[in-house]
Amino acid sequence: MAPPKTKAATAAASSITSAPTTTQTLEPYWEYRFEVPHSSILTIKLVSGTAEKDGTELAPNTPYAFTATKSKINTWHGCTLEITAPSSGTYDAYTSEPNADETPMVSYLNLHFKLESLRAAAQRTAQMGPRVLVVGPPNAGKSSLVRTLTSWATRMGRQPLVVNTDSREGMLTLPGTLSAAVFATLIDATTDWGTLPSSGASAIPVKLPLAYYYGLPQSDDNPKLFKRMLGRLAIAATSRLAEDIDVKSAGMLIDTGGVPAGTRGAAYYDFVAHIVAEFSVNIVVVLGSERVGSEMQKRFSGQITSVGETVTVIGLDKSGGVMDRDEAFMQSIRESAIREYFFGNARMTLSPFTQQVDFAAVSIWRISEASSKTAADGGGITYDEGEVHTDMLEKAEPSMMLQNCVLAVACASVHDVPDNIRDANIMGFVYVADVDEKRRRLRILAPVSARLGDRPLLWGSWPEHMVNLLI
Amino acid sequence: MSSYSESDAVAKDFRDALEDIQTIGRPEISNLTIIARENIEHALAISSALVDHVKRAAPHKKLPPLYVLDSIAKNVGTPYTLFFSRKLYQTYMDAYAMVDMATRRKLEEMLKTWKEPVPGSIDTRPVFPPEVVRPIENALIKVRTTALQQDQERMRNQQQLFGRGRPVQGVPYRETLTPPGARPPSQTHAYHAQQPPIHHGNGIPYSQPTQPPSVGYQSQPPTLNTTSRSTPQPPSSGAFQPPHMGGYGLAQRGISIDALNDDIQRLTAAFKAQLGQTPHDPIIQTKLKALVDLQTILQTQNLPQEQLVLVKNQISDLAVNMRAPPAQTSTPVSLPNPVAVAPPPVAAPKVSLDSLFGSGALAAIMARNTTPSQAPTPQPPAAPVPIRSPPSQRIEPQKAAPAPADPLALMNMLRRAGMLPPATPATSTTPVPSIIPSTALPFPLPLSGITKSTQPAPPGTIESLTNDIVLKASSLKQFRPQLLPLLFEAQGLQCTQCGRRFPTNEEGKRRKTAHMDWHFRVNQRSNETEKRGLHRSWLVDEMDWINTRETIDKDHVVQAGDSDTAPGGSITKVPKTQYIPVPDDPVLAASVCPICQDKFETRWLDDAQEFVWADAIKVGDRIYHASCHREAFKDGGGTPMYTRNTPEPVLGKRKAEQDELVSLRGKLKVEAV
Repeated sequence: MAPPKTKAATAAASSITSAPTTTQTLEPYWEYRFEVPHSSILTIKLVSGTAEKDGTELAPNTPYAFTATKSKINTWHGCTLEITAPSSGTYDAYTSEPNADETPMVSYLNLHFKLESLRAAAQRTAQMGPRVLVVGPPNAGKSSLVRTLTSWATRMGRQPLVVNTDSREGMLTLPGTLSAAVFATLIDATTDWGTLPSSGASAIPVKLPLAYYYGLPQSDDNPKLFKRMLGRLAIAATSRLAEDIDVKSAGMLIDTGGVPAGTRGAAYYDFVAHIVAEFSVNIVVVLGSERVGSEMQKRFSGQITSVGETVTVIGLDKSGGVMDRDEAFMQSIRESAIREYFFGNARMTLSPFTQQVDFAAVSIWRISEASSKTAADGGGITYDEGEVHTDMLEKAEPSMMLQNCVLAVACASVHDVPDNIRDANIMGFVYVADVDEKRRRLRILAPVSARLGDRPLLWGSWPEHMVNLLI
Repeated sequence: MSSYSESDAVAKDFRDALEDIQTIGRPEISNLTIIARENIEHALAISSALVDHVKRAAPHKKLPPLYVLDSIAKNVGTPYTLFFSRKLYQTYMDAYAMVDMATRRKLEEMLKTWKEPVPGSIDTRPVFPPEVVRPIENALIKVRTTALQQDQERMRNQQQLFGRGRPVQGVPYRETLTPPGARPPSQTHAYHAQQPPIHHGNGIPYSQPTQPPSVGYQSQPPTLNTTSRSTPQPPSSGAFQPPHMGGYGLAQRGISIDALNDDIQRLTAAFKAQLGQTPHDPIIQTKLKALVDLQTILQTQNLPQEQLVLVKNQISDLAVNMRAPPAQTSTPVSLPNPVAVAPPPVAAPKVSLDSLFGSGALAAIMARNTTPSQAPTPQPPAAPVPIRSPPSQRIEPQKAAPAPADPLALMNMLRRAGMLPPATPATSTTPVPSIIPSTALPFPLPLSGITKSTQPAPPGTIESLTNDIVLKASSLKQFRPQLLPLLFEAQGLQCTQCGRRFPTNEEGKRRKTAHMDWHFRVNQRSNETEKRGLHRSWLVDEMDWINTRETIDKDHVVQAGDSDTAPGGSITKVPKTQYIPVPDDPVLAASVCPICQDKFETRWLDDAQEFVWADAIKVGDRIYHASCHREAFKDGGGTPMYTRNTPEPVLGKRKAEQDELVSLRGKLKVEAV
């Protein structure tokens, strides 16, 4: 495909202090792409026409403030945007100017309408709606596509169940989790997926995820645990589908982590196969990679799902201007996600609570990395399930290692057997602000003001240590 | 036990009984009548429970409680009639606006009996005094005259679309429903005789009425008979077109922009005058700004007619509000020329609102809806009260994106600024006109069939539209511009606050109203909660998540009480509400009801924006099922409905040992005192 022409229209409008407001006119199919670090805020207002951000339609004349994100505004009818640059800090933006033949949005839109017709048929016959899996290399715009399909579905009055199997990034919850949530109304355009419930009122309806803590960035860091978590998630998701008719007809949209390069790809495809089986996926969308596409075709095309449907594999182009997101930027996004979990954002300030806890009063479980991880990294040995440690969780004593760690709070009891703790979903997170080994006390930041009681804490290595959340 | 809470209890019980009525049956109605008679000391509570129930009931369930009201009024009489009278107009008209034709007929019959003395009674006074009934009658006449013109218009235009005629069930009210009080059988067929012979079966619209127009029926005490119903209007005048018959309409021609501008100017002047008196009132400032914006739009853009109609309606509304506020703000405002804010008389080719809707058709209704307490006497319908017509926004599929500065957006702005009634639900305790009829006022719109067929709904289903799409890259790359409107225009107009679209049909309007209310409540609540300090909530467990159902703009009636656990252990007062936020303390969160030993039901309450335990109450530091707690606290005595002897059937799930229960109760009593 011919890469869409791009033009650096507003590049790096930095070091301008007087918060200048510019007007950006987009013709149909154009996109306004921007990157804002967490230190500054870019405000975009739709002045005329229609515009979407990942499928969520912008309200006219309403300022949308973006921070710590790389995203884009696209338009089908053309629009005029009023862009207020941050008064301090920098941002980076440009317009991508494809026409109707070039923009991959057309394919996405057609895919959406095809899914919509499958949903209508499913509703008529009280069957399950389509279960769509999106795979592709990193930075292909997979999450963005899933989000777009989700938003479009909700705009048609559907309630799709969205599943995130990429523990590098969290959906609604923090990184390190696998989660699922039903989206019934619009997604807050200034966030990726929306916000978690809090004790306050949210101008955009909050979404309720079900989350399991995997605590590791890569699916092959602990393949057995990863599959276990996927299984738990699939059971819950399938149960929700079975009991909630609105969700049932809308089906599922499943996001995945990027296909790793090199030899780890083979192991990755095993996970994809696992997801396809567990979630009865019947449509596999491969984004931006012929290579992955042919692999998927080979593995799944024509395969019959557990409910007797044939699996379809479709290859789609990735969006021309998808930005590569470098690791430093991603880390800053993770950090601001953690910050936002505890402290809220500009619109809603939250007050977490600190408390002192005795070492003896907490029950901490360490999520172990599989030994095959290091082997795979070092010598390119493919992952083999037999070699993996059978113990996925081990009891850990509090130590200085916990300093600045984010721990997940399991929805279980300390008296449960380790298997139950491992299988439990999580209630949320706490942050270890301080470890006092002398007095054997932890200073813990928790979202709510309450004792942790008998909830076990899960200690993974993802999201990574923060420098210090309390500064 | 104070009599206040006793009244509450009786009212609650009465409400529960009402909710149980599934069918319109004589026994149920007479039962409730008897209850009302026996608890006459709680008449106020019962009557407001009943009126409230009518208001809240779904349209198809409004009739039974109204029959109960009717029965109580006739068989018990005062003081119920007094209490009912206060809100009779509103209750009746709200219900009338929402129900179908058959039910309306029954309501009309009921109304007729209200003008007469109770049959067989020695009391010669009517059931309800004339000053209560007449405004309703006047409003109904207007509605029906308009509906009739519509019928004629429709028949003239097209015959096939309205084949069903009016569904006249002809079930006389008295035959089935009113309890066998004192009802001479000779009355039974009184209404049959008056049924117009219009039920002609399929496909044939009933014939045009032949009576000559009965002029001046407004001035004489109107009667709801066939004559007035079938009064034909000279077809040449005005050619009224109901907004929802979009497909037919050429009618709404020529609302003059100039006239609108004049209106706005006058209103602006009025607001400025008001601002002069209270210069720092932000509300007036907002309103003024909105008006100026509106004017700019009018002057700079060529708006299509239907939007002009809207603008006009909204301006008229403002005019009404403009007059109403002084009483509320208690700032006497002298308007420069109050009459001037009314729609000006428009010259012949232009269609004034009056000629659109028949002179003052909705005026009486609207006037009463907007100023319910200020018009103790019925509003003369001919008064130049501004009219708000049902919003007539419809989207033509061809019309591209909304105009840059959509007047509707402005309308919503006005609404947000609190200038328009619909989106401001009851913040006070005074009854506010039920929300639904006031925006989506379906006069004269009993034409669900028509409405549907003329909606801009996509021709054909989504399945047929997309059957050329194959799940292959080549097929998916093909641009299908015809599908795009399905995500935009066909979804209706955008909410100005969040961008969601709502269809312009009845259902869509209803949803939009609920949605705007939701915004309002959330805004209100977030202002409240910000003061207390917020925190992230814990997530729910698997089972609760699986059993969660997404609620969209759900209208919860309960208001969030201040039942939050304030840090620092403040005085716990017993919350009025029947739910509490799920405790943050995990120990407490794992607790069970000490009375029945069952767990609490966790729900996401959209209104409160938090997880709550339904039917839960916190007393001291323990949490009980509200129902269990109420049971346990009932001290015998009191009303016969709450005898202590039979708590078990209510709960039906007691697991605790009986003696344990008793001792618990003893403890509870001690704690309570």
